Amino acid sequence: MSRSTFTPRRLAAATVTVALVVGVAACGPKADGGGSGSKDAAPQQGGTLTVLNQNPQDQFDPARLYTSGGGNVPSLVFRTLTTRNRVDGAAGTKVVPDLATDTGTPSEGATVWTYHLKDGLKYEDGSPITTADVKYGIERSFAPELSGGAPFLRDWLVGAADYQGPYKDDRGLAAIETPDEKTIVFHLNKPEGDFPYLATQTQFAPVPKAKDTGTKYQDHPVSSGPYQVVKNENDGAHLVLKRNPNWSSATDDQRKAYPDTIDVQSGLDPAVINQRLSASTGPDAAAVTTDTNLGPSELAQVKDDKALASRVGTGHFGYVNYLAFNTKVKPFDDPKVRQAIAYAINRTSVVNAAGGSSLAEAATTYLPNQEAFGYTPYDPFPAGATGNPEKAKELLKEAGYPDGLTITLTHSSETGKGYGPNLATAVQDGLKAAGITVQLDVLDGTKYSKTIHTVGTEPGLFLAGWGADWPSGGPFLAPIFDGRQIVTDGYNFNSAQLNDPSVNDEIDQINKITDHAEAAKRWGALDKRIGEQALTIPLFHPVYKRLSGKDVRNIVISDWTGVLDISQVAVK
Amino acid sequence: MTRFLLRKAVGMLGVLLVLSLVVYAVFYIAPGDPAQLACGEKCSPAQVAQVRERLGLDAPVYLQYAHFLQGLVAGRDFSAGTGLLHCQAPCLGISYRSGEQVTDMIAARLPVTASLALGAMVVWLILGVGTGLLSALRRGRLSERLLTALTLAGNSVPVFVIGLVLLIVFCAQLQWLPFPTYVPLTEDPQQWFWGLLLPWISLALIESAKYARLTRSSMLETLADDHIRTFRAYGVSERHLVTRHALRGALTPVIALTAMDLGALFGSAVLTESLFGLPGLGKLLVSSVSLIDLPTVVGLTLVTGFFVVLANVIADVLYAVSDRRVVLT
Repeated sequence: MSRSTFTPRRLAAATVTVALVVGVAACGPKADGGGSGSKDAAPQQGGTLTVLNQNPQDQFDPARLYTSGGGNVPSLVFRTLTTRNRVDGAAGTKVVPDLATDTGTPSEGATVWTYHLKDGLKYEDGSPITTADVKYGIERSFAPELSGGAPFLRDWLVGAADYQGPYKDDRGLAAIETPDEKTIVFHLNKPEGDFPYLATQTQFAPVPKAKDTGTKYQDHPVSSGPYQVVKNENDGAHLVLKRNPNWSSATDDQRKAYPDTIDVQSGLDPAVINQRLSASTGPDAAAVTTDTNLGPSELAQVKDDKALASRVGTGHFGYVNYLAFNTKVKPFDDPKVRQAIAYAINRTSVVNAAGGSSLAEAATTYLPNQEAFGYTPYDPFPAGATGNPEKAKELLKEAGYPDGLTITLTHSSETGKGYGPNLATAVQDGLKAAGITVQLDVLDGTKYSKTIHTVGTEPGLFLAGWGADWPSGGPFLAPIFDGRQIVTDGYNFNSAQLNDPSVNDEIDQINKITDHAEAAKRWGALDKRIGEQALTIPLFHPVYKRLSGKDVRNIVISDWTGVLDISQVAVK
Repeated sequence: MTRFLLRKAVGMLGVLLVLSLVVYAVFYIAPGDPAQLACGEKCSPAQVAQVRERLGLDAPVYLQYAHFLQGLVAGRDFSAGTGLLHCQAPCLGISYRSGEQVTDMIAARLPVTASLALGAMVVWLILGVGTGLLSALRRGRLSERLLTALTLAGNSVPVFVIGLVLLIVFCAQLQWLPFPTYVPLTEDPQQWFWGLLLPWISLALIESAKYARLTRSSMLETLADDHIRTFRAYGVSERHLVTRHALRGALTPVIALTAMDLGALFGSAVLTESLFGLPGLGKLLVSSVSLIDLPTVVGLTLVTGFFVVLANVIADVLYAVSDRRVVLT
C-alpha cells in the first residue's frame, strides 16, 4: 500500500512557489498535462488503486455480506457460482457464469438447479476449489453467529427455514447435493427462474471448512478471486488487497484485475472525498469512490470545469422512490383519494428536491426504467410535469371531500436519502394546489424504518424507497405486493397490505419462467396492472454521479450496480 | 499523597460503575432492538430470536449486567461458531455488530484519539498561552487586540467549517499538505505528524481562545500580587519577573483546565475525527450508538470516563505541584 509521502523539504519547496501556485489554483484543481489524454491508452497491469469511501467494509465474511451481484470490493476476493456481466450500461444487467461453467441448468420446473465447476479453480493457497466448499459456504450463512445475508436462501431451499448452520447441526442442508467435486445441485421448494441471479451473492462463494474460523473468518477470508486480504484494520475501515498469485484470468473472464494493490480507505467525510478526488494529488490521482455521490452544489461547480466534468461517471441502479399508502388507514382506503393524490403530485418540484434533473429522473412506473426489470411505460394518473390539481379536486369531490382534505405524511429526518424533509416539503407544496393540506410527521432514521415496516404502527402515507437485489422484476414486485409476504410479527415491506390472489398467482407463474426476457415482459405487465390501483405513487428514479481520480482508466458502470466496477479499473 | 491517590482510585471505580449502570439503563429504556439491527431488516422473527440468544439478549437485564461485570473481573467465553472465543479480563464483551472484542476495538482506536488530543493540546497551549501572555504584557496595544480577535474568531467557528476550509486551502488548492490520513507514530513518525497537523490546528483553534483569555487574566492578576510588586521594587528585571515568578502562579489554572479538556477530548473529538477520517474513539461511539451496539457503547463510556476522571486526578496533583499552598488529602 502506498500513502502520500510528504516531507518538510517538499513543504519548503512548496512555500517558495506559493505565488505561482496560488495563481493557478485560483482557477480550481488543475488538469494534469497528459492526464485526460492518456485515459484512452490501453489499460496496463500494475500500480495501486485507492478507494475512498464513507462506509467501512465492516462486514467481510461472505456469509454476512448483503450484496447485489456479489458487491464491489467483496467481488475482488470472492468468486461465486455466477456473477454480473462487467460491461457498461444495460448489457451489464446480464448474469454470467463465474466459478460455474454456465448460469445453471434448471429442471423439474425450475425447482432444481444444477451447476458444474470450471477446471483449474484454486484458492489463494493453491488448493483446489470444490463444490463441497460452495455448499459449506452457503450452510454457514445460516448460523446465527454469521447473520446478515439476504433472506432468499432460507425462503427458497427445501427444509432450510429452521436450519441453524453447520456449527450447531453438522448434518448439513439436504437441499444442496454435491454428487462429485465438480457438481452441485440445489433443490428449491418452489420454481425460481431467477436462481442464477441469487447465485451471484457472496453466500455462493466457496469456504474451505478446514480454514473456517467462524466470526474471525472475515479478518482473513480465503480468497478465490484476483485479490487476497493482507490488511483489515478497524472493522474494515482500512482494507488492503494484494494480487492473489493463484488466481488465473484463464478461468475468470469477468475480472480484469489491473492494479497490483487495492487500498480501501473508509470512514471519510463525503465532502472530503469529493475534494480529494477533484484535487487528484499524489495517490488520489489513482483513486475512486464506490459510495459517494456528487451533491447538487458540487455538480454545479464541476460543470464549469471541462477537465473535471470528464472525470464524472454516471450510473443507474434499479431503485425507485415512492409515496406508500397503507390502505387500512382512512381516507387512503378509498381508491379515489389515492388517485387524487397521484394526480396532484408535482414531479418537477419533487425532482428538484432530490437534487435536480441530473440526480433524479421523474417516475410514473414502480419498476425502474430499465428493460431488465421489465420496464413497461405507463402513467395511469397523468399529472404532467407539475401536477393536475383540477382532476385531483374532481376526484376528491367524488370521494366526498368537496372542500379539500387534510392528511398526514410521515417522513424521515435523514436528509439526502430520498425520504427526508426536502422531499416531504416538495410533496406537501404540490398537493396544496389541489386543496389537500399535508401535515408532516417526522421520525428519526432508525425509528422511521421500524415504524413504517411494522404492521401495527404503519402510517397511512409515507415516503419510501426500494432497491433491487438483482436486476429483475421479481425482487422488486414480490416483497412489496405479494400478499403471502405480509409479515405481521417482523419487518413488513408489503405496505399496502395487498393480498390479491390473482397477483399472487401471477407472481408464481412468472417465477417459473427461466427465460429472463420473457419473464421481464410479464413483470412489466404485472407492474402496470398493480400501478393502476394507486397503491404507491412512484416519484423518481435516482441517478448517481461520481468523480474519479485523473489517472483512473477503464471505467465500467453497469446498470446492475450503477457504480464503477473496481475489478475493471486500471491506474496505468 | 498515597492516601490521596488511594482515595481517588476508589472514587474512580465508583464513578465508572455508576456510569456503566446508567448506560445499561438508558439502553433498555430507549427504543430499538439490537438483535433485529444485527440480523438485518429482512430477517425473519425466528432468525432474530436466534441472534438474540447468541448475543445473550434473551436473559433478564440484571443477569446481562452481572455477566458484563463477571467478564470485567474474570473474562468470558463467546461462541465464534467454529469454537469458543475467549475474551480475557478485563473483558468488555463483543460487539453486536462486528463480533469483535470491544477491548480490541478500543485498543486499536485509542492511539488515534490520543495522538489527536495530545497534539492538539500542544498546539492550543502554544497558541492560547502565547497569545494570553502577549496580550497581558502588551495590554491595550494593537498586537494584543489583533491576537485576541483572531483567537476569538477561531473559537466561534465550528470545527467542520474551519477544518473544511483548511483542507480546501492547504490540501486541495495550495497543495502544501497531504489530505490527512492516520499513520501510526510507530510506523512512520514523519507521516504521522504531517497527517495530523491540520486536525491538530482545527481542534486547537477552537480551544485556544479560552486559554488565551484565562492566561491573560490570570497573568494580570498575578502581576498585581504583593510579592511581584516587592520583586519589582527590588529591581528585578521585568523579563525575569514574568518568566521566573509570575508565570508559575499564572499558569496554575491553565494546567487544571488543560488536564480536564484533554480528558474530555477522548470521547468528544468526534466532529474532528469524522471530518478528517481519523478512526478514533469518538467516531466509534457515534456509530455504535446508532446501531444500539451496547457492549461497545458501555466499553467506550467506561474508557472515556476513565480518562476524564484520571485527568481530574492529574489536574489535582499538578495543581499541588505548581502551587505549594495546596495540600492533597
